[in-house]
Amino acid sequence: MSRWIPDESGEEASLLEALGIRSTDELFTDVPKRARIGRMGVGPARDEPEVVAEVDRLLERNRPLSKFSSFLGGRIACRYSPAAVDAIVSRSEFYSAYTPYQAEASQGMLRTLFEFQSLWVEMTGLDVANASLYDGATAAGEALLFCRRLHEGVRFLVPASLPWEERSVLENYASGPGLRVEGIPYDDRTGRLDLEFVRAAVAKKDVFGVLADVPNGFGLVDEGVPELKGILGDVPLVVAADPLSLSVLEAPGNYGADVVVGEGQGFGIAPSFGGPLLGLFACRKEHVRAAPGRIVGATLDTEGRRAFALTLVTREQHIRRSKATSNICTNESLMALAFVVYASVVGPRGLARLQASLAEKARTLASGLGSIEGLQAPRFDAPYLGEFTVELRRGTADEFLDRLRRRKVLGGHSLKDLRPGAASDAERVLVGIPESTSEKDIQKYLRAAQAAIGAVGRTA
Amino acid sequence: MTFRQARWDEPAVWDLAPPRTAEAPPEISGIPEKLRRKEAVRWPELSELEVVRHYTRLSQMNFGIDTATYPLGSCTMKYNPKVSELLARRKGAAEVHPYQPEATVQGSLELLWRLERVLSRITGLPEISLQPAAGAHGEYAAMLMVRAYFRDQGELAERTEVLLPDTAHGTNPASASMAGFTTREIRDKDGSVDVAELRRAVSKKTAAFMLTNPNTAGLFESEILEIAEAVHSVGAILYYDGANLNAILGVTHPGRMGFDVAHLNLHKTFGTPHGGGGPGAGVLAAGEKLGPYLPVPRVVKEGRKFRFDYDRPKSIGKIKAAYGNFGLDLRAYAFILSHGEEGLKHISRRAVLNSNYAASRLGKYLPRPFRSLVKHEFVLSGTPLKERGVRTLDLAKRLLDEGVHAPTVYFPALVDESLMIELPETESKRELDGYIAAFERAISDTAENLHAAPRSLAVTRVDEVRAAREPLLSWKDLRAASAKAETP
Repeated sequence: MSRWIPDESGEEASLLEALGIRSTDELFTDVPKRARIGRMGVGPARDEPEVVAEVDRLLERNRPLSKFSSFLGGRIACRYSPAAVDAIVSRSEFYSAYTPYQAEASQGMLRTLFEFQSLWVEMTGLDVANASLYDGATAAGEALLFCRRLHEGVRFLVPASLPWEERSVLENYASGPGLRVEGIPYDDRTGRLDLEFVRAAVAKKDVFGVLADVPNGFGLVDEGVPELKGILGDVPLVVAADPLSLSVLEAPGNYGADVVVGEGQGFGIAPSFGGPLLGLFACRKEHVRAAPGRIVGATLDTEGRRAFALTLVTREQHIRRSKATSNICTNESLMALAFVVYASVVGPRGLARLQASLAEKARTLASGLGSIEGLQAPRFDAPYLGEFTVELRRGTADEFLDRLRRRKVLGGHSLKDLRPGAASDAERVLVGIPESTSEKDIQKYLRAAQAAIGAVGRTA
Repeated sequence: MTFRQARWDEPAVWDLAPPRTAEAPPEISGIPEKLRRKEAVRWPELSELEVVRHYTRLSQMNFGIDTATYPLGSCTMKYNPKVSELLARRKGAAEVHPYQPEATVQGSLELLWRLERVLSRITGLPEISLQPAAGAHGEYAAMLMVRAYFRDQGELAERTEVLLPDTAHGTNPASASMAGFTTREIRDKDGSVDVAELRRAVSKKTAAFMLTNPNTAGLFESEILEIAEAVHSVGAILYYDGANLNAILGVTHPGRMGFDVAHLNLHKTFGTPHGGGGPGAGVLAAGEKLGPYLPVPRVVKEGRKFRFDYDRPKSIGKIKAAYGNFGLDLRAYAFILSHGEEGLKHISRRAVLNSNYAASRLGKYLPRPFRSLVKHEFVLSGTPLKERGVRTLDLAKRLLDEGVHAPTVYFPALVDESLMIELPETESKRELDGYIAAFERAISDTAENLHAAPRSLAVTRVDEVRAAREPLLSWKDLRAASAKAETP
């Protein structure tokens, strides 16, 4: 029996007595006999030390990132989170609360979400942010549907270099209303989007939105992205931005983005095998009634005090049902709290310094790898921040990464894994720079890469 | 006991520090001028202690389950065990990247696999995916699966409609609509599905019927087997919204009731925290018909090793990055281990006992619109309050002054002035009696006091109409509003 179910002697008996029944069986007479089940086949209850031991036994079969020199990244970042962030997130007034429907009892979370929304507005240069979505990929999916509410058409253009996971999520969001997701080709030397392709597509009048990611799936900052809005005219532009990059890069709202989405996990949220994550969404004020998700607004209480409440709820599922702008109910509020606490503890200058430091380490590693025979790094002739792409001139990326792993280096992601089925990807590896990367880690990667590519050469 | 919530005159985070003059962030070589941010992000530079104090003060102006009884109907606000919080923060859980080589994440994979297997036994449906981030996300994924299934059957062109009872959560019609279906509501009969009307409504146009059981009126749909038969007779899919699973653990399950596909909320039935609105964790459970359409990757066991399987040709693909909210999956697994078979059964028996006890006591004060035997939650109607010039909303606000959270109000919509109360199994008889006494005091108070409530929280009644009429949605809006106010 669970010790979390209160079981003071006689407690349940007195509840039964008050109801004038003998057993809880009498409370289930409305379940027809033919629908009853016997045992479910769940094991016996364990006490707390046993539960801890059992979960620890499983977790010990993992090899956490600290056991390696890790260069994993992609949309999930490995950054240090100051202990203060978890201390606040661990306050159960926050984590054990429900969605703040009763504004007066929930001012703490409502104000936090208002501050979170404000931060994403400042970072993106747009006007309105919602109180979070599930993750960066679903935020892009919601952006797709949002664009369709703003503009006619059937085609949504995304970079062909977009990671497969995000493309697949987008295709699912597109499938309900019968829309299509199409890849924008890129230049294989610079990784830049083919703007003429976009121009020609838009001229056909059936494109309802275009998404560009900054940095993109190869880690590149595409200089063509700020030119997109000039080509699109009134077709909405979605920019999927890494929040840390926005500490040093132009706010997308300033070069015409109508929507900015992003994955917020890198701000104070552990990788945790990929979840929970944090979906970021901002748009222009004139489009707010088409926006998905909860939004907190500022107002007053009856005594004229500043107060906050969920607002513009007529967009939402619990009011509009099938006509809602999205089905989302539970979002990622606690992760939004982590995001705003992280940004406030690190501060805007700290964020920019962190991004600059990651970029510098990336350049050191890329130029080191580039001097190894058999590797081309960085693969693209384009600016990058904390991630870059390496191409192997021989052997496979999988084999290369396997050999690195034997030397305790997690060398990055094979772009084939990130984009299965994208045959053009040759043998390429996306290398990320976690915050903890030291000079020693970089040297270790370089030695391991030298040995790995040498070994690949011999077996080939 | 007199309840007083903290009332800090706490400024906004940006008002804690004087505004900085704009300065440019450091230059990063290679980044072209047109892409460089010219001014640092406008946000204050604060000491760590200032930040910690700020958010600690905000937390003290927030109600959680740990603060007080939280009887929000349909939300299952049960105790969130502390041991789960401890375990989710272990290095082996938190410091693991989703794209690490499978050989280095065998523990995570095994945990997911074990959780899937036990949820399969709990739901009676063989195939499980933990990918959805929340219940509504699971509903949506399931509707995409229904779509893919009928496409393979060559029937997608005619299967355009999803049916729902009028008691359905708003997420149900919204999810069906996002997946490209039109929706039609089936009227209830005394709070339950009118099976005769359902039989008339189903046809070759019907793709699915979405049902919560027990439903949002707190009633078990006793004609569930007839409902399943009616839905299946036209080849449609029966969908289980698992929001109310807390009432039926070990009594029945979606598989036995005839459902083809289901979602569960780990953050309701399985004790993971609601996080002030999320993160949640949805679970998809499917029978043989829809199992092949579940999102990829699936977790498979081969010998003693675990791996991800992407090779599922019928799968709808991905609905989210990575594999789901692992941190919540781990908490739910610890919760299930802690309860075991008998503990899980006890959950539902006690939750339903608590609910019927409170319903019978509170039924003296407000009418109960449906039959008296309820499951884990019950509905009252605040209609008689109107004679005193009082509304359900006033009663809800007055309850907050008692130091307990308000019930869900104005849902389900089929009951006038509805209140929906759920007191999960972790509430003791003492807490129940305390809640009932608070309810008695609140409802017996004068109309004047009810209108003036709440008075003991961080703020008094919040003007939500103003919030919607003059939207101020960010610091940027506040700056613009105060600039406008200063302009003569």
